[in-house]
Amino acid sequence: MIRVENLCKRFGTKQALQGVTFSASDGTVTGLLGPNGAGKTTSLRMIYGLMKPDDGSITVDGCDVASDPQSVQARLGVLPDQSGLYGRLTPREHIRYFGNLHGLTGLDLERHIEKWIDNLDLKSIADRPVAGFSHGERTKVALSRALVHEPQNILLDEPTNGLDVMSTRAVRAVIRNLRAEGRCVLFSSHVMQEVSALCDRIFVIASGQVLAQGTPKELLELTGRTTLEDAFVSLVGPEAGASNGELS
Amino acid sequence: MNWVPIAVIARKELSDGFRDRRSIYTMLVTALFGPLLIFFMLNQQTSQTTAAKEIRIPVAGIDFAPVLVNWLQQQPGVEVLAGPTDPEAAVRDGRAEMVLVIKQGFADQFCHSKPATVQLFSDSTRKTTAPKLRRLAGLLNRFNEEIGAARLTVRGVSPDVANPLRIEAIDLASSQQRAATLLDIVLLFLIIAAITGGMQIATDSTAGERERGSLEPLLINPVPRWQIVSGKWLAAVLSASVGMAATLAAIFIALRRLPLEDLGVRFYLSAPKVVLLIAAMSPLALMIPAIQIYLSSFAKSFKEAQSYTVLLVLPVGFIGLISTFYPVTDRPWMQAIPVLAQYSFGTDILAGKRPSLLALTAGGIEAVTIAAIFVWLAARLFSTEEIIFGR
Repeated sequence: MIRVENLCKRFGTKQALQGVTFSASDGTVTGLLGPNGAGKTTSLRMIYGLMKPDDGSITVDGCDVASDPQSVQARLGVLPDQSGLYGRLTPREHIRYFGNLHGLTGLDLERHIEKWIDNLDLKSIADRPVAGFSHGERTKVALSRALVHEPQNILLDEPTNGLDVMSTRAVRAVIRNLRAEGRCVLFSSHVMQEVSALCDRIFVIASGQVLAQGTPKELLELTGRTTLEDAFVSLVGPEAGASNGELS
Repeated sequence: MNWVPIAVIARKELSDGFRDRRSIYTMLVTALFGPLLIFFMLNQQTSQTTAAKEIRIPVAGIDFAPVLVNWLQQQPGVEVLAGPTDPEAAVRDGRAEMVLVIKQGFADQFCHSKPATVQLFSDSTRKTTAPKLRRLAGLLNRFNEEIGAARLTVRGVSPDVANPLRIEAIDLASSQQRAATLLDIVLLFLIIAAITGGMQIATDSTAGERERGSLEPLLINPVPRWQIVSGKWLAAVLSASVGMAATLAAIFIALRRLPLEDLGVRFYLSAPKVVLLIAAMSPLALMIPAIQIYLSSFAKSFKEAQSYTVLLVLPVGFIGLISTFYPVTDRPWMQAIPVLAQYSFGTDILAGKRPSLLALTAGGIEAVTIAAIFVWLAARLFSTEEIIFGR
């Protein structure tokens, strides 16, 4: 369970977030939908404690990020916008490294590693250095590394961005599975298909503000449109929609 | 307090770093370069000294001065040959290293007790000639003195009249100390090994981590920043230690294979001395990687970081230079300055002196404190948004 209240953040003269409030519940996939530069990544970075809000508060399972960032981080699994892998290490070593840092050791850890190698179909490449991996393979390694400690809350920043069909399907399957296990999944995207395919609840963000929220159906009713894309454009306005080429 | 993450991070950085073959080779080459240089330098020097023990003197106009030639031939390790007719060209072409030229009027001038001119042709830029030339010049001076004394005696004058001074130079330096000044350069190479040994890991685990975009995922783990930086520091420290150990081992082997007695120095790097040297110099391996990690944390890329850390060689090299001009060890304040302190301990140990336990401990504590400060500073940098996200 993630609660975000009234987040504000200024970068220089630009007000990046102006009072963002949303929440994500267990057993639900929550989507942050918005054009590039809307404040999605900034919000996520504040939840995992690497950026400090000028104002506002964040709790994860009741733990406050500002006062106890490590307890929050222990409850989170994060796929940041960059996979950030080590070229000379293998997928197995990547997963083991982060498992160790979360306090997992021994057989218990090896069991978790095997599980994620199976889940994301990494078996054939599990012991090869990741240097030559494709974008899809790298994302899968980063995802299994983020999930090895079985976190209750999962943050995914544009997880399917630039992935091929097979990798996208694999990632979607993982997300659905996490929801079935009763976990809280929060992910950001600017791709309409992703959001409509996966999300139970959507927060539409633009220019650092939450413009609307609800289930996909509720958003359609709210805007009186028939497709989610039209609903989105009518919410964020034509300029923001037009500046965002990837939307179509 | 859970210290495990430090070990986890150090292990990962080491196995990651040591898989980078090219940087390992670079590290080993730089670690072994110094000892090799020392070996060739000293080897050259000893072989030159031994070369001067047996000299061949080409003499042009050998028939003009039988007295001198006979006298030379009687000296041990001297062989006199008939020299080339064109001494200048012979030396220039390298056919002869030096040529002694005796003029036709020698016998006449010699008999009338006039200074008889002899010429010595050589090329002073040729390093190998110098010791032989010194030996020959020494022999000619002795001939001068002997004949001069004989001439005075014949005239009823004591030769002592011509020698108002008798100079007795007494060198108080032990042969170990002489060896130490010769081997000061060993310490410089040990310091350089401390710099190059940990540099790869120090830069790759900080600036490299930023460049790859892997710093952000790493920092999301529930591990305090100071532990993350400490783990990286520990890995760099171990790597620097390996570099220093390789250098020390190579120096050890090189010195054992050199006939140092020929240089008039007795030097023996005994096992206790090596242990003491390690104890005195190892604080460098703690301190320098911490500074490198701090500097590299500012850099956005691996290359940028390397250009910062390479700059560290300059002040350290400067300290090495200072200590060749000033005798470091007898100034107590110098032992308070990091690097300079280790340098002066090292000089003492090589000279057979034992630095006080108090001074060694103080040097160690100082180095650990400096390391802790820079690790803490780097940990603070890793908490700032500009460093984590600024790319």
